[in-house]
Amino acid sequence: MSLLSVDHVSRTYHAGDTAVAAVSDVSLEVARGEFVAIVGPSGCGKSTLLHVCGAMERPSAGRIWLDGSRLDTLADDGLTRVRRERLGFVFQFFNLLPTLSLIENIALPLLLAGGARATSLGRARSWAAEMGLAHRLDHRPTQLSGGEMQRAAIARAVVHDPALVIADEPTGNLDSANGARILDALVRLNRDRGLTLLLATHAAEVAAAADRVVHMRDGRIDRIDVRRPHGEIT
Amino acid sequence: MALFGWFILRRVAQERMRTGLTVAGIALGVAVVLAIRLANASALGGFAAALDTVAGKTSLEIIGTGLGVDEQRLAQLTWLRTWGDVSPVIEGDALAVLSPNRTEAVRVLGVDILRDQPIREYRLDVGAGARQPTAQAFLGLLLDPSSVVITEVFARRHGLVAEPADGSEAGGRSTLQLAMGDVSRTFRIRALLRNQGPARALDGNFVLMDIAAAQWAFDRLGRVDRVDVRLAEPSRLDEAEKAIGARLPRGLNVQRPARRGQQVEQMLAAFQFNLAALSYVALLVGLFQVYNTVATSVIARRDEIGVLRALGTPRRTVLALFLGEAAALAALGCLAGIPLGWGLARGAVAFTSATVTTLYAAHAAGVPALTWIDAALAVGLGLPLALIAAAAPALEAARVSPLCAVRGGTDDTGETPVRKRWTAAGVACLAASAASAQAGPLHGLPVFGFLSAVLIVFGLAALVPAALTGLARVTGGRALGWLGIEGRLAHASLTGAIRRLSVSVAALAVSLAMLVAIAVMIGSFRETVIYWVAQTLRADLYVATARRSNLDAQATISPSLEQAIAADADVDGVDRFRALSVTFRDRLIVLGSGDFRVLLDHGALVFKAPADGPGALASAIGRDAIVVSESLSLRFGVRVGDHIEVPTPAGPRPFHVAAVYYDYSTDRGVVVMDRATFLRHFGDQRPTSLSVYLRSGADAEVVRARLMAQLAPTHRLFIHTNTTLRAEVLRIFDATFAITYGLEAIAIVVAVLGVTGTLVTLILERRRELGTLRLVGADLGQIRRMIVIEAGMLGAVSQALGMAAGLALSVVLIYVINVQSFGWTIQFHMPVGFLLQAMAVVLVATTLAGAYPARLAAGFRPADEISTE
Repeated sequence: MSLLSVDHVSRTYHAGDTAVAAVSDVSLEVARGEFVAIVGPSGCGKSTLLHVCGAMERPSAGRIWLDGSRLDTLADDGLTRVRRERLGFVFQFFNLLPTLSLIENIALPLLLAGGARATSLGRARSWAAEMGLAHRLDHRPTQLSGGEMQRAAIARAVVHDPALVIADEPTGNLDSANGARILDALVRLNRDRGLTLLLATHAAEVAAAADRVVHMRDGRIDRIDVRRPHGEIT
Repeated sequence: MALFGWFILRRVAQERMRTGLTVAGIALGVAVVLAIRLANASALGGFAAALDTVAGKTSLEIIGTGLGVDEQRLAQLTWLRTWGDVSPVIEGDALAVLSPNRTEAVRVLGVDILRDQPIREYRLDVGAGARQPTAQAFLGLLLDPSSVVITEVFARRHGLVAEPADGSEAGGRSTLQLAMGDVSRTFRIRALLRNQGPARALDGNFVLMDIAAAQWAFDRLGRVDRVDVRLAEPSRLDEAEKAIGARLPRGLNVQRPARRGQQVEQMLAAFQFNLAALSYVALLVGLFQVYNTVATSVIARRDEIGVLRALGTPRRTVLALFLGEAAALAALGCLAGIPLGWGLARGAVAFTSATVTTLYAAHAAGVPALTWIDAALAVGLGLPLALIAAAAPALEAARVSPLCAVRGGTDDTGETPVRKRWTAAGVACLAASAASAQAGPLHGLPVFGFLSAVLIVFGLAALVPAALTGLARVTGGRALGWLGIEGRLAHASLTGAIRRLSVSVAALAVSLAMLVAIAVMIGSFRETVIYWVAQTLRADLYVATARRSNLDAQATISPSLEQAIAADADVDGVDRFRALSVTFRDRLIVLGSGDFRVLLDHGALVFKAPADGPGALASAIGRDAIVVSESLSLRFGVRVGDHIEVPTPAGPRPFHVAAVYYDYSTDRGVVVMDRATFLRHFGDQRPTSLSVYLRSGADAEVVRARLMAQLAPTHRLFIHTNTTLRAEVLRIFDATFAITYGLEAIAIVVAVLGVTGTLVTLILERRRELGTLRLVGADLGQIRRMIVIEAGMLGAVSQALGMAAGLALSVVLIYVINVQSFGWTIQFHMPVGFLLQAMAVVLVATTLAGAYPARLAAGFRPADEISTE
C-alpha cells in the first residue's frame, strides 16, 4: 500500500476574473521508504503539488491519502496536526527561526507538539550530532553557513520521525559542495533509515539520486522515469 | 514628487492600520496640547473679557489696600478732575436667585451715573426709534436704592422684564432677587441695557445700580472699591500715571485696569504652566510613534531603498522621501487633532473651571472659538517635531547601500555600537537631570525642574535598549518556561527585535512613568492635605455665605447673623475670619485676620517654624506681628524674625513675622494677623467666614440643624460641620486633579496604540517566520498565544522601567517642581493600591493590544509565506 496517494488532484488559483490551474488532474503514488523527485521548468506546478501533498493547502479537486488518512477533507486544525505529527519539511531558504538557537530550531516540532523540554532537546541534540552540527548547538541561524542551516533544517524535518519528508529545492540556495553534502544526507536518511522523501528540484544530479523522477509540465505529469524500482510500489 | 506618491503615499494608503494608529497617536497628542491651551485661555479669557468690558474707557484707577478707598478721602482727590473724568465705583459679585433651587452669578457695578457716563457706554433698550434717556432721566431710574438695571440678554434668558415707565402693569416678572453676602434682597428692574459696553460682561450677567445702593447692598458703607479716571488726553497716560501716583496720599495707589488682569495671569501662571507641561507628554508619546513608524518602514524596506539607490536615486532624495512620510502622517494627525482638541477643551474647561474659581477666584469662560492661530500652532508644533522625530531613521534610510538590492536588505547591522552610544547618552541625561534639579526657579516658574523631568524621560528612553538586552539575558528562555513553547518563542522574537521594540517600549514606559509620578505626587499631596486638615480643622461648625467660597471671598457676614450664632447656648467661641486680596511685592496675596486667642484655645495651626508655634502665635496678639503661610515664605524668602512691609489703608507698615505655618488652601501666599491688630489698621470690618467652637457634649449636627432652621429664612448662609467640610476639601482636591489623570490616560492610550502598531509591523516583517512555524505544526491558538504573550511582555518590561523612572520623576515633582510652583511641602507617600490597580489595567491593556496583531498573524497561510516559486 502507498504511503502517499494522490488521486486526480487539481489546484486552481483565482486572480481577479482569471483562474490559473497550477496543478491539473495529477495522480501519484509514493511508497513507504521511496525517494521521489519532481522535476520540471519554473511554474510547472512542482511547489504547488508539494504544498498540497504537505497539507499546507487543500486541493481544488481530487483526493489525497497519507498513510491511509484523507487529507483533502481535513479542516485547518486537522491539517496542522498532520504537518506537526506526520510530515517534515526542507526548503530552499532553510526557513529557520532567526531568534532561536540551532538546537531550539531543531526541537521546534517536538516542543510545538507539547513534548517535554528536556526530552525534546535531547532528541534534537542527537539529530544535530548526526548532521555534524554538535559544535553549533547554541548558535543562531545568522551565525551559521548556508550548508549548516540546511543540515539543521533537515534535522528539524526528521526529529519527530515523520512518515514523509517534503523538500522543495533543498540545494537551490547552496554552492555545489554544500549542495552535494545535503543531497548525501538526504540519500543516507532514505537508504539507511527508510525515510520517505518527496523532493522538487531543478538540479539533474539531485534528481539522479531518486528512485523515481516525475516530470511535470504545465501543471500535469508529463512522464515518470523509474531509476531504481522500489519493492513496495503497487 | 511622483516618486513620493508611488513610494510613500501609496504605502501610507495601503497600510491603513499602521497609518491609522500613527495618525491617531499624533492627533491625540496635538489635541491634548491644543485643549489645554484653549482651556487655559478660557480661564484667563473670562476674567480679562469681564475686566475689559467693565473698565470701558477707564485709563487709570485709584485703589486702596484691600478694602478700597475711604469715602472721606475722596474729598482729598478733587484735583484728579484736572486730568479728566473721575468716577468712584463699587464692583462686586452677587447671586441672582432665579428660583429657590437656581442661582446664577452676576457682576454688580455701582456708579454715580452722572459721573460715570463719560467712562462707560450705557445704551438702554428703549425700543426702535426712541431716543436714549438723558443722564438726569437715567439717574431717575436708579434713585430708589432698590432699583437695578439689568441686561436685555439676561432678562431674555430668564423671562424678566423692566417696569413700565408709566407705572402700568408689567407684562412679566419685573423684580430680581440678589444675594449679597448672607442677605438676600429684592430689586426692581427699572430698565434693560442693550448688549453694548459693560452689558457684554460675563455673557450679560451684569447688573447696574446706583453707587449708594451698592454700598448699602454690599455692606460697604463709607467706602468705594476704586476710583476710575478717564484721561482728557489719553496720550499723556505715562505722565499722568506718574504724576497722580506721586500726589496720592499714603495707602492709595494708581494703576492701569489691565494690571488686575496681569495679576490674575501671574496668579494662574504656575497652575497653567504645570498643566501645559503635562499636556506635552501626550505629544511626546505621539512623536515616539512617528519615529517608530518611520524606523520600521525603513527597516522593512531596506531592499526597496537599495533598488532605488541602485537605479540612481540620490541619498538626499531618499532622506526627503522618509521625512515626507513623517510630514504626511503628521499633517493628517494635525488635521484630525485640531477639531478633537476643541472637543477635549470643552471637557478640560469643565474640569479646570472649578479649580480656577475655587483656588484663584477667577472666572472661567466658555471655550474660545478655534482660530487660525490655534490651527497654525497645532501644525507648527506637530509638523516640525514629527520631522525631528523622523530624522534619525530617515538618515539611516539615506545611508542604505545599493548593494542591499542585491543582497536582500533585512540584515540588521551596527546593533552593539548603537546600544552603547544610547546607554552613554541615557546616563548623561540622568546626570544632567540631577544637576538641573538643584537649580532654583526662573521668573517664579520651575523651568529647571521641568528640564530635570524631561531629562529623566529622555534618559529613560535612551536606556531602554540596554535594559531590554539586560532583561532578555536575565529572563532567558527558562524563566518563561511556565508559558510553554509559546512563551519561549515570544521571548525569542522580542530578543531578536530589541532595536525596533525599544521605541515602543520607551513610549509606553514614558507614559507609565508620568502616570506613576503623578499618582505618587497626588497621593502624597492628598495624604499631606488629609493630615493638615485633621490638624487644622478643629472647629465644630464653619459658616460662610457660599457652599464653596475661595479664601478671599468678599461676601461678608452680617452682624445679625454673627450675633445670632454667638448667642446660641451651645456655642463656646467664634473665630471671625476676614480675608482680603492685597498686592504685596507686586503680586496678589491673601491678607487674613483671625482671633488668635480663640485659635489658641480651640484650633490648631501646623507650624513650620519656630518650634514653639503656639507661643509665637500668642506673642503676636495685639502687636504688629503676623504669621505667614509656607508658600509666602518660600515665594518671597520671608523668614521668622523678619520685618516685612504689609500694605494697610494708611500705607505700608512693618510687621514682625512671628511664625510660618503650613497651608494648602492657596498657593498665593497668606499673611494672617490677630483680629485686634487688623481692626487697628483696617478699621471695623465684617468677617467673611466664622469658625464656631461648641461646648463639650454638644452635637454639631443638632446645633447646625437648629441654626439653619433659625437663620435660613432670613439669611443666605452655608454651615458645614467639621466632617462635611473635610469631605468637601477632599472632594475639591480630587476634582482639581481629575484632569491630570485624564491627560495621562490619553498618553497611555496613545502608547498602547503604539504597542499595537509595533506588533503589527513586526508581524508583517515576520510573515516568513510565522509561515514556518505554521508549517512545522504550530496551530492557530499557539500563534495567537505567542503574540499576546509578546504584547504582555512588552507591557511588563515597560511597567518595570516606567515604575523606576516614575519614582525618580515623582521626587522631582514633589521636591522641586511643586515647591517652586506652589511653595508647598508635601510628605512622600506611595499610593500602593492605586499603582497596583493602574499597573494591572495597563498590563491587561497592552496584552489586549496584541489581540489584533495576533488575529493578523493567525491569518497567514503557510504555503503563501514560504513559497519560493
